[in-house]
Amino acid sequence: MLRRMASSFPEEVLEHVFSFIQSDTDRNVISMVCKSWYEIERWCRRKIFVGNCYAVSPRLVIRRFPDVRSIELKGKPHFADFNLVPEGWGGYVQPWIAAMATAYPWLEEIRLKRMVITDESLELIAKSFKNFKVLVLSSCEGFSTDGLAAIAGNCRVTKRKAVKFWVLLEMLVRSIAVVWPTDEEAVVIGFCSLVLPMLLPLRRSNIQCLVKIIWVAFSLAGFFLVDCCEVRNLRELDLRESEVEDLSGHWLTHFPDTYTSLVSLNISCLLSEVSFSALERLVGRCSNLRSLRLNRTVPLEKLANLLHRAPQLAELGTGACQAELRPDVFSNLVGALSGCKELKSLSGFWDVVPVYLPAVYSICPGLTTLNLSYAAIQSQDLIKLISQCPNLQRLWVLDYIEDAGLDVLAATCKDLQELRVFPSDPFGAEPNVLLTEQGLVTVSEGCPKLRSVLYFCRQMSNAALMTIARNQPNFTCFRLCIIEPRTPDYLTLEPLDAGFGAIVEHCKDLRRLSVSGLLTDRAFDYIGTHAKKLEMLSVAFAGDTDLGLHHVLSGCENLRKLEIRDCPFGDKALLANAAKLETMRSLWMSSCNVSYGACKLLGQKMPRLNVEVIDERGPPETRPESCPVEKLYIYRSLAGPRTDMPDFVWTMEEDSAIQQLS
Amino acid sequence: MSEGVMAVVKPEMKSYIWLQTADGSIQQVEEEVAMFCPMICREVINTGMGSSKNYAISLPQRVNPAILGLILDYCRFHQVPGRSNKERKTYDEKFIRMDTKKLCELTSAADSLQLKPLVDLTSRALARIIEGKTPEEIRETFHLPDDLTEEEKLEPLRNITDDPRIRLLNRLYARKRKELKEREKLKNIEVEEERVDERSVEDLLTFINGGDGESKGARSNKSKKKNRRRKDQIKNSSNDINGNHNKELDDLSFHDGSVNNMASPSKTSKLQDSTAVSYSPKLDFDDVDIDDDLDPAMKEELDREVEDFARRLNSDWPERMQEILSLGQERRLVPVSNGNGSQRYNSLDRR
Repeated sequence: MLRRMASSFPEEVLEHVFSFIQSDTDRNVISMVCKSWYEIERWCRRKIFVGNCYAVSPRLVIRRFPDVRSIELKGKPHFADFNLVPEGWGGYVQPWIAAMATAYPWLEEIRLKRMVITDESLELIAKSFKNFKVLVLSSCEGFSTDGLAAIAGNCRVTKRKAVKFWVLLEMLVRSIAVVWPTDEEAVVIGFCSLVLPMLLPLRRSNIQCLVKIIWVAFSLAGFFLVDCCEVRNLRELDLRESEVEDLSGHWLTHFPDTYTSLVSLNISCLLSEVSFSALERLVGRCSNLRSLRLNRTVPLEKLANLLHRAPQLAELGTGACQAELRPDVFSNLVGALSGCKELKSLSGFWDVVPVYLPAVYSICPGLTTLNLSYAAIQSQDLIKLISQCPNLQRLWVLDYIEDAGLDVLAATCKDLQELRVFPSDPFGAEPNVLLTEQGLVTVSEGCPKLRSVLYFCRQMSNAALMTIARNQPNFTCFRLCIIEPRTPDYLTLEPLDAGFGAIVEHCKDLRRLSVSGLLTDRAFDYIGTHAKKLEMLSVAFAGDTDLGLHHVLSGCENLRKLEIRDCPFGDKALLANAAKLETMRSLWMSSCNVSYGACKLLGQKMPRLNVEVIDERGPPETRPESCPVEKLYIYRSLAGPRTDMPDFVWTMEEDSAIQQLS
Repeated sequence: MSEGVMAVVKPEMKSYIWLQTADGSIQQVEEEVAMFCPMICREVINTGMGSSKNYAISLPQRVNPAILGLILDYCRFHQVPGRSNKERKTYDEKFIRMDTKKLCELTSAADSLQLKPLVDLTSRALARIIEGKTPEEIRETFHLPDDLTEEEKLEPLRNITDDPRIRLLNRLYARKRKELKEREKLKNIEVEEERVDERSVEDLLTFINGGDGESKGARSNKSKKKNRRRKDQIKNSSNDINGNHNKELDDLSFHDGSVNNMASPSKTSKLQDSTAVSYSPKLDFDDVDIDDDLDPAMKEELDREVEDFARRLNSDWPERMQEILSLGQERRLVPVSNGNGSQRYNSLDRR
């Protein structure tokens, strides 16, 4: 039976089947089935996701997956967004880029999150990858507009002759590489088989003719191939929320005039002015442009011009809106926007003046995504806007929306799937808006498709949480941030254990959870008992004893990321559940109670974990072993301790005991 | 009459192509149906075979009569030009409803006949079968051997016996371990470590039995989970907070040490330094290959204690927890419901 299966199912067919399976989880599963599937899978894997860039070395990845076209890497832990990870911690992408420059010359996509990328790396990307298409830098840093200029300037239409030869060689190498195991030899043979026929004198011999015919055939094939991939240029440049050193706005002018293949451009994080005329020309000649997110310096008056040139836009991020109402600007904008029939997503709206909002009413019915998290619009204006958007699926908004606005949202947007409500004044002692738990309850009642919530508020009750849980058992992501730490149920003054317990009990598909408010170990008991599909948990100022941490580590089977700050969790639960840590991507604990001694022990006992102690007070050896460490970051890794640590990070190693003695 | 002419002479009769499968059996198939397969089409055009029984086209080995029947059904349906896309799609969806074994055979046969639409259809169906399953389930479905070693399964990336860096590291560790062993032989073995080991297990049991229901209210400074966009402001405030924090954490470990009341059945030994735990923590952790710096007898005792602890942990947990939590709650409710709770919060350092 086994033999029959293997012989009747050739590799190419299996490879073809695998080409329809693209999710990382499924690909990982395929590679674990048996040896032959492992081999086939690794050769045809084109997309890689590395959730922690220090978990594996570039060399290992390249060795296992020889032909990758798309890579996604994540660097710093999530709490870096809250400034808990000190500057200089790490997450450098240069080693990866350098390794991939030689190993994956056909790499098309690079997506980075929370990593440090330099101008040097950007230049290397521009030089090395002939078919580069997508660059997404999400919350990254370390580069300047000079690096962007290098990327932009690379978008040339490459010369025909050079490409033809390159393509030919590649084709030959690939076909030979199927037979020959090493790439180097294949290249040599490929090269010879291209060059030699030209050197052979013309003689009447079947073999010579055959060789010449093959050579001609390849040339023709190469010719056609060139026609197909002539415009191999950048499609997507997305800077998300990165920190860019803004040296000049002229980097945009580096896009050559012949470059027309831009599909998505997001420069919303740039602070200084970009060359507007260059932007206009770029938008004008790229007829495939679908997504354009501008930065604040693009004024409202100029937005209409851009929109006229790009009526096919599906996603738009406006620039700053501040200005007094000028009727001509307003009517221009209305006209331009009504021409954009495909617009589905709107964002930007920095400093928006409410009088301009009616300009977007015409496209509101088509909107599925609306990001107003930078717009200080008051509740009445928000209500007017939202009541025009019945097809909204995703809404990000400030808490100016208030309970009243959320009522309207619940009544109007029945397709709502994701809601994020950000605080307008998180540091204020008293609430500045009328936003309470009631708003969330109403939305959970009114929007049956709601799956993902991020909600900042100042008061919450167990009753409200229980109602929400019963209304919406389909949550996959529930993040509640009660602004004041350890706030109890405002009605009964009890901890919010029962409320969060209801959430995890009813929402069986919950993948991501953030808890806040007053919580005892019991809350964690509920989480450990019920949240079986939970993958990421964020905890701050909660729990009483190690028991809390123990519940989570021993109960949540699918836990991948755990981040904890300011909780009374110490050594015992951590050490007792040390094995669990190897099944997770990472654990972050800051301002907790974990001692240096425990960290050392963990590092000694668990060679496949990197136990990083981050302490800006100086070397932990100068303090007693029982002294708690400032911050602790533990992650599983096949690459061993990293070599690029700053002087406030120590990795606990197997022979750390020896380090002390010597 | 020659075979080639036969096809022309009787136009009202359908012309047939003769096909022979690997097992020797020959069948005739309507011409337009058979020609839908590129491989058969090419054979007919290039070699002229297939027009009679004696000159039947030999099909690849992967095509057996049953599967051929299925393929021909597919061809028979799709070669009719007038059908709408919807019709074709509906037919396809019904067509691929068969057991996995047959689906595999069909995919492989369609591939050998180069019938791309059918290959795509069956491949997609197989992909859907594979998606969402665990490796074990896939092995069962497709009757595949379980031949990856435990090590390979654990870390499929780690087939690196020849990675020079790993080898160097291993050598370095081995050397250092040896060095340590030598040094230990010269010095006294750390007796303190042993003592703390014993005690720490007791500590843990007491600690858990004692359980601490009191919330450490005094400790919280005001740093909150911020909106990630307000980075500048946050940086300043969090710097202040860290300073205060450390002081209070020190207080806390002192607190920990002195708490050991509550109804607890077992020993209440003095908690020296509850945080200096150094016993072997894991139960199923194989530390045979790692030097503990402890002699084997000590290690055995530790392992036994840890197992004991684990057993207690797992068995008594629910009851003990109820105990702890109910006790804890009683104590907490009293001060809070009197309105003293507000006092506790007011005493927090606000700025």
